[in-house]
Amino acid sequence: MFARRFLISFPIFAVMYVIQETIVSQFRIFGSGFSLFLIFTLLWSALGTPELGALTGFGAGLLMDLSQSSSGPMGQWMLIMILAGFSISYLGYGDDNFRGNPLSLVVIVALAVPITRLVYLILGLMFGGQLGSTLQIFTSLFASGLWTVAVVPLLMPLVTRIHSGLFEDLSRG
Amino acid sequence: MRSGGDNRGRLLLISLIVTSLFLITLDLRGVQVLGGIRSGSQTVLSPVQSVAATVFRPVGNFFSDITHLGRTRGEISKLQAANEKLRQALINRKNADSELAQLKSVLDLAGTAKYKVVSARVISLGSTSSFTQTISIDAGTKDGVRPNMTVITGLGLVGVVKVAYPNSALVQLATDPAFSVGSRVAGSQQIGILSGQGTGKGVLQLLDNRTNLKVGDVILARGSQNNLPFVPGVPIGEVTSVDNAAGEVTQSADVKFFVKFSALSVVSVVLGAPQADPRDALVPKAPVPTPVPTVTIYAKPSESPTP
Repeated sequence: MFARRFLISFPIFAVMYVIQETIVSQFRIFGSGFSLFLIFTLLWSALGTPELGALTGFGAGLLMDLSQSSSGPMGQWMLIMILAGFSISYLGYGDDNFRGNPLSLVVIVALAVPITRLVYLILGLMFGGQLGSTLQIFTSLFASGLWTVAVVPLLMPLVTRIHSGLFEDLSRG
Repeated sequence: MRSGGDNRGRLLLISLIVTSLFLITLDLRGVQVLGGIRSGSQTVLSPVQSVAATVFRPVGNFFSDITHLGRTRGEISKLQAANEKLRQALINRKNADSELAQLKSVLDLAGTAKYKVVSARVISLGSTSSFTQTISIDAGTKDGVRPNMTVITGLGLVGVVKVAYPNSALVQLATDPAFSVGSRVAGSQQIGILSGQGTGKGVLQLLDNRTNLKVGDVILARGSQNNLPFVPGVPIGEVTSVDNAAGEVTQSADVKFFVKFSALSVVSVVLGAPQADPRDALVPKAPVPTPVPTVTIYAKPSESPTP
């Protein structure tokens, strides 16, 4: 069942990835902008089971590792996204009040995006990466949280509809 | 929230983590896992990126210029539409003019230094999720671009080619925290290492603490063996502040890059350089102040003084 769900949702992620790499990456906005793909993945994970969250993170991380602008070793994004996907879905799993409240989803994704990026940075440092300006990093992390707050409400209706349509149909069938 | 995952879930999580750790280990050991897929995905994406760059850059500028969206009167809507069309054409023209100016300036610089270059358009501005500072350009191995080649604009050093794909290449910008280049001070020829900081300024560390560095000094690339990754003489930036702390082993200074990294649209990759070092020939000329005409008035006493 997992493999089937994963394969069905993969084309959606591939489309989001292409949008991120070709369109979103054209705009340089405040605080180095936002990653639509990262937001989409975390929001998608937040709506599923922890196992599905981890699997979603695995697939999304693989795509992020394939990005030419990914500086870390192959598998770095994959590792972080598995943990992020699992954690964000684990937090709200079984709590319908949490998942039914759009505000809590916005807050948790807005917190998860900078935390995920921070973990990526820390892991990158452990792999021999460079830190650069601390102020720039904090500005970028803070801005990514703000951008997420702005983007998630726009993205949420689409993601929840696709997610529920896909998984409810599957569970019925 | 639930109290814990079941065994199947745990097994799945552990196996996914182990897979990713396995990939990381292989990659760090130099085994190019999935390298072909990364290259292939970039080969597929680069034409789409190129089209998106052509379409969405002017759109971004266009939206920032629109100021009167609220007007709905039918009488003016046609005029507005015509006006927007003209404005779009103007923005496109400005975009083309700007690219032409950048291209001309980089060819001037390359001509002075006798560099063999290939010019390319910037098709992507790099990752928004990681902290690296990179750009993608629409020239690749088919155009002679190889990893470790210097990338310049008319103002100076942009960065270095990190990865070259058949139709595109990834360029690490000089502002990237992992970027460092051997440099020298124009005139005094003192040498040091300049590192990116993730901002519009870099930090220069001179190898000799007795050097008398001052604000305004121009920093040039020192050049590498066989001109890879850096050809000599490329202007990098100018010193904006000097750290003269007593007891420091090396003297350091903040260097503001000449290149405006936020406005890159056309760059050139140096494919080859002459044997002779251009030395300080590429140092940008200091701006010549425009002479202000002065009017001198001579007061002359009248011949018939008033009583």
